[in-house]
Amino acid sequence: MKQTDTTDPVLPMASAWISGSDAPELKEIRVGFMPLTDCASLIIAHVMKYDEKYGIKIIPSREVSWANVRDKLINGELHAAHVLYGLIYGVHLGIGGQKKDMSVLMNLNNNGQGITLSNQLKKRGVTGGAALKNLLDSERRDYTFAQTFPTGTHAMWLYYWLACNGIHPLNDVSIITLPPPQMVSNMRMDSVDGFCAGEPWNNCAIYEKAGFTVATTQDIWPDHPEKVLGCTAEFAKKYPNSARALIMAVLEASKYIDDMANRRKVSEIIAGKAYIDCPVEVIDQRMEGKYEDGLGRKWNDAHCLKFCGDGAVNFPYLSDGMWFLTQHRRWGLLKQDPDYLAVAKEINQIELYKQAASQVKIAVPEDVMRTSRLMDGTIWNGHDPQGYAASFEIRA
Amino acid sequence: MKRILIIDDARDRAAWLKASLELAEYVVAGVLSWEQVDERSIQSASADVIIVDANAPGRDTLEQISLMSRTLEKPVVVLGGQKDSQSIQAAMRAGVSAYVSHEVEGEDMSGIIQVAAARFAEHKRLRDELKEAKSQLHERKLVDKAKNILMQSRGFDEAEAYRRMRSMAMKKGKRMAEIAEAIILSDELGGE
Repeated sequence: MKQTDTTDPVLPMASAWISGSDAPELKEIRVGFMPLTDCASLIIAHVMKYDEKYGIKIIPSREVSWANVRDKLINGELHAAHVLYGLIYGVHLGIGGQKKDMSVLMNLNNNGQGITLSNQLKKRGVTGGAALKNLLDSERRDYTFAQTFPTGTHAMWLYYWLACNGIHPLNDVSIITLPPPQMVSNMRMDSVDGFCAGEPWNNCAIYEKAGFTVATTQDIWPDHPEKVLGCTAEFAKKYPNSARALIMAVLEASKYIDDMANRRKVSEIIAGKAYIDCPVEVIDQRMEGKYEDGLGRKWNDAHCLKFCGDGAVNFPYLSDGMWFLTQHRRWGLLKQDPDYLAVAKEINQIELYKQAASQVKIAVPEDVMRTSRLMDGTIWNGHDPQGYAASFEIRA
Repeated sequence: MKRILIIDDARDRAAWLKASLELAEYVVAGVLSWEQVDERSIQSASADVIIVDANAPGRDTLEQISLMSRTLEKPVVVLGGQKDSQSIQAAMRAGVSAYVSHEVEGEDMSGIIQVAAARFAEHKRLRDELKEAKSQLHERKLVDKAKNILMQSRGFDEAEAYRRMRSMAMKKGKRMAEIAEAIILSDELGGE
């Protein structure tokens, strides 16, 4: 692995964290991202030089697939990445590939993904989950739904939503994985009936008159965890100061983005060719919480993409990580119950995060668990994960 | 003879790859574009190794297919990562998917495929061994438990209890664990 530049960047301010024993061991940090709206905090940390404030330099690397993000994290081409929560857990447990100890440094965002159904389904009278279920029962054919990665968040949101509507995702429909930028074109060619992906792709489907938003993921779980800042356990262990500096830089960027007055500017930056490469409008509407569902409904979403919430978004709650394990178990990706709590404790770097958050004056919650209420009324609080995973009627 | 499936949207590159593989006397079971990739097309190629382009977004599609149908788990050689050989080696060590450069010569390819396939086999062997070790441990626990039951209920000493179980296993043509399970079950039945 080449280390091209190890010279100190010009530091705008002196701090205990960038000199002496707390100096970042590694100054240039290669961070992968996928072209999605919720990569914003990493890009802003880089563009607005929050990274340099903490003695590091983020080198953003635009990636084309989650499989590549994973492989590059494992082989060291990337130090860290904007990555699906469930993917990190899947790699740590060796689901469908090589097993490697992984770390979650922080949660990057809550909310802001969506489930889109095709306008073909709309023509058949489907505007919601119940009508979809009716159509599936009355008009038999192969219905295809796409998500973005087998262990990822979108797969879990899609399966959860389908199951809530009485549709078994593994038995009643065909599930495929597609790269997010190909979702809309596949929908236009009628090769998918629905998909779950991050923004701007749901909004894009409306713009291109291919489909409509049947549910946002905040409808499924208000303020759900989503992308994380992930790395290998080896990286977090070998370069704790760099990891801490990275968390601090991204936290400051997150705070900046959470001010709604800054959102337009952020949208303009991340829409650029080097990042998402997409019209600003398509990104900015939902970034600012202005939703339209493509069926005529417009609303201001109180649970639109959140990046900071004074740390409530970013704290790597153990219960959040464990939730993905319960769903992996539910859908048979895990053949046995893991030690849910122990796995979450191994992966989520609570101590590192706390140290970083306290330095940038971001609040740290007292409890490592939080209580959430999902769309079907079930409560998830991190207690009895095994019972929770087994409690769903529709499962693998 | 290794059967190879190439998935690539760049047709000229796929053709070059196919030709160099065939020169090295490999069987190219098929060349697919990403649009053609689904469970059926992967299945019907019945390849031993799949070669794909690292820069293809469709890689995630392949992940889903191989994860959801374990029979289709194949070593995947990923072309077009970093050029320097160090990163190739690191990728090779890392396991299943191997990153290699596009500029790799045809002759090298055979070695790469061997390595990728061997890595995959090693990974699978380790996983199987772990499974085996776990089940052996489980069986030993069963035998110990059954032995204790015999010692307590029949007053045998340890050696005698073990000897009786072993001779029963030999007589019935069953494994020790199966005999142990039967003893535990009948003890549980008697205890109710």
